[in-house]
Amino acid sequence: MPHIEFNKITKDYGAVNVIRDLDLAVEDGHFTVLLGTSGCGKTTLLRMTAGLETITGGELTIGNQRMNEVHPRDRDIAMVFQNYALYPTMSVRENIGFSLEVAKMSKGETAKKVNEAAAVLNLTDFLDRYPRELSGGQRQRVAMGRAMVREASVFLFDEPLSNLDAKLRAHMRLEIRQLHDRLKTTTLYVTHDQIEAMTMADKIVLMKDGKIEQSGSPDDLYDRPATKYVADFIGSPAINFIHGTIEAENGTPVFASVDIRYPLAPDCAAQPGQAVICGLRPSDLEIAVTGDISATVMLAEKTGAEQNLHLKAGEQHLIVVADRAVPAPTGQSVDVRINTDRIHLFDAMTEQRI
Amino acid sequence: MMVQSKAARLRRAIIAWVTVALFVFPLYYWITVAFKNGRDIFNQPPKVFNFSPTVANFQEVFGVSFGLPRNEVLAGGGDFFMAPHLWSSVVIAVFSTILAVAIATLASYALSRIYFRGRHHFVNWVLSTRMMPPVAIAIPMFFIYKDLSLLDTYLGMILIHALMNLPLAVLMLKSFFDDIPTEIDESALIDGASRWKIFRRIIFPMAKGGVAATAVLCFVFSWTEFLFALTLTQTSLKTVPVVSSTFVTSVGTAWGNMAALGTAAMVPAFIFILLVQKQLVRGLTLGSLKQ
Ligand SMILES: Nc1ncnc2c1ncn2[C@@H]1O[C@H](COP(=O)(O)OP(=O)(O)OP(=O)(O)O)[C@@H](O)[C@H]1O
Ligand SMILES: [Mg+2]
Repeated sequence: MPHIEFNKITKDYGAVNVIRDLDLAVEDGHFTVLLGTSGCGKTTLLRMTAGLETITGGELTIGNQRMNEVHPRDRDIAMVFQNYALYPTMSVRENIGFSLEVAKMSKGETAKKVNEAAAVLNLTDFLDRYPRELSGGQRQRVAMGRAMVREASVFLFDEPLSNLDAKLRAHMRLEIRQLHDRLKTTTLYVTHDQIEAMTMADKIVLMKDGKIEQSGSPDDLYDRPATKYVADFIGSPAINFIHGTIEAENGTPVFASVDIRYPLAPDCAAQPGQAVICGLRPSDLEIAVTGDISATVMLAEKTGAEQNLHLKAGEQHLIVVADRAVPAPTGQSVDVRINTDRIHLFDAMTEQRI
Repeated sequence: MMVQSKAARLRRAIIAWVTVALFVFPLYYWITVAFKNGRDIFNQPPKVFNFSPTVANFQEVFGVSFGLPRNEVLAGGGDFFMAPHLWSSVVIAVFSTILAVAIATLASYALSRIYFRGRHHFVNWVLSTRMMPPVAIAIPMFFIYKDLSLLDTYLGMILIHALMNLPLAVLMLKSFFDDIPTEIDESALIDGASRWKIFRRIIFPMAKGGVAATAVLCFVFSWTEFLFALTLTQTSLKTVPVVSSTFVTSVGTAWGNMAALGTAAMVPAFIFILLVQKQLVRGLTLGSLKQ
């Protein structure tokens, strides 16, 4: 059941159009991630949901009620801002309890709720500190606590982890996701980090220039990217693209580029003569004794258990993820095998999936 | 802290002390004049340290005898000669400051946060009133005040000083509010707080330093304002700057008396600044944001 629905939502800043005719349903109790590069309109969409930005056109509903004209405080939402926006002159306790104070909740009950939230977020020892006396991760948790105690029906997060160091980010990712599994609150989470999106989301909404490029489960976007843009955005290291054409050879289609020829599955929808872009994920390629492509090692990047091999096949640059045990000195010739059912083909003109 | 060589530190200290001395010396000299007798005041070369101090100037200015026979000290003017004017100045400065800061705080918060058509022009217009030379409206103001029976009244002086201070106070405070990220308001808005509650509970406490700085500016302006204090008062109400000009007479200037009044006038201003300076500490916004 959709909890939040965007219906042909449009946003203009004066003459500048930022979001156009956006349709999106956010399922009840799901963790939905808005993903996209900087400036694509993620924050704008979130702020419109919160009621902090007017909606130029279209209709927004939360729980089947039109929200366009509803005041932020009456939308039953809680929001964690990109910069946390803690109240600097209030202690952590007062920060978390502020919404309850405003709601005129009794002192005893407020204290109980604040303590509960603090316990969940490991903030109990910091309740009497001021925001300036906290580390980045602790501030982030205070912002979460402030959202939690409201028991709102929707959580909105705007890149809450973007300024934390890598380790803390990975940790908070887990904590936020676990918190969601426990509370089951409908969540709309904005990020530009595809790993964050892949690891946390029930559903990813990938945006580009104020429009939705593709939405679906993380697996959907990874396994069946609808466009070249999506294929490029999701996955690390980035997918390899090879420009070529489809040729027919004995009735089966073959992908042919300057440096690479490779037979495709017989049921492939691509037409002979069609100009295509072939997408090959680095992890779907394999170094083998006899393979489909012969290449030379340019550079091996160790990442720990694995290594990213940068190869050159003729003029074509390829990245392959290989086990670190694979010997790959620079200049060595290697053979690469392609995992046939993991080939992504895109039309070279429209960049849509074939 | 930057690591500095001994020489660099010494140089810095010297520059700092010289600068301070440059500012403080005229003040010091003025105060010594208040405690000098007529001969010492005009002595050449000027006596900076080695004069024989006397409180005669203060006795004359404030008409108090400090235990001496009255007829020996009172040159004229009577009991507490200038003291009531000092008090008038305090009342006018304090209340005009309170009025100006109260209005300006609310106005500048609104100008900083609430968008309305032509807001930008409005801000410029507010500032432009300050560009006008006050003397241009001194005469019209006199007639307006006369019609409203505000001449020679505390209310009149408080109003005109608050009015003169408002543009600058609004602009100054607006820049303080502009520095506070709007996300803080928005966060509170989502938390359910009303604008007034947000202002009172969150934004105002954050802007206290700015409010204090503005108050000091307003107070000092009112404390030293001369033109309107002169034109809009007649007999019953006079402020310190106006009465100190009475020591400039056709037979010469009573420097010692003037310095005594000036020195005494520093005290209330000094106390006021001492009271608000605790709030002048900045850095209250620290820690609200990620950085
Ligand atoms: N007040 C405004 N006036 C004009 N243009 C704006 C305004 N706010 C945002 N924009 C524009 O709208 C677009 C989307 O901005 P938005 O803040 O939603 O991006 P974002 O996806 O959140 O990016 P980031 O990842 O950098 O936070 C940007 O091109 C931005 O320049
Ligand atoms: Mg953003």
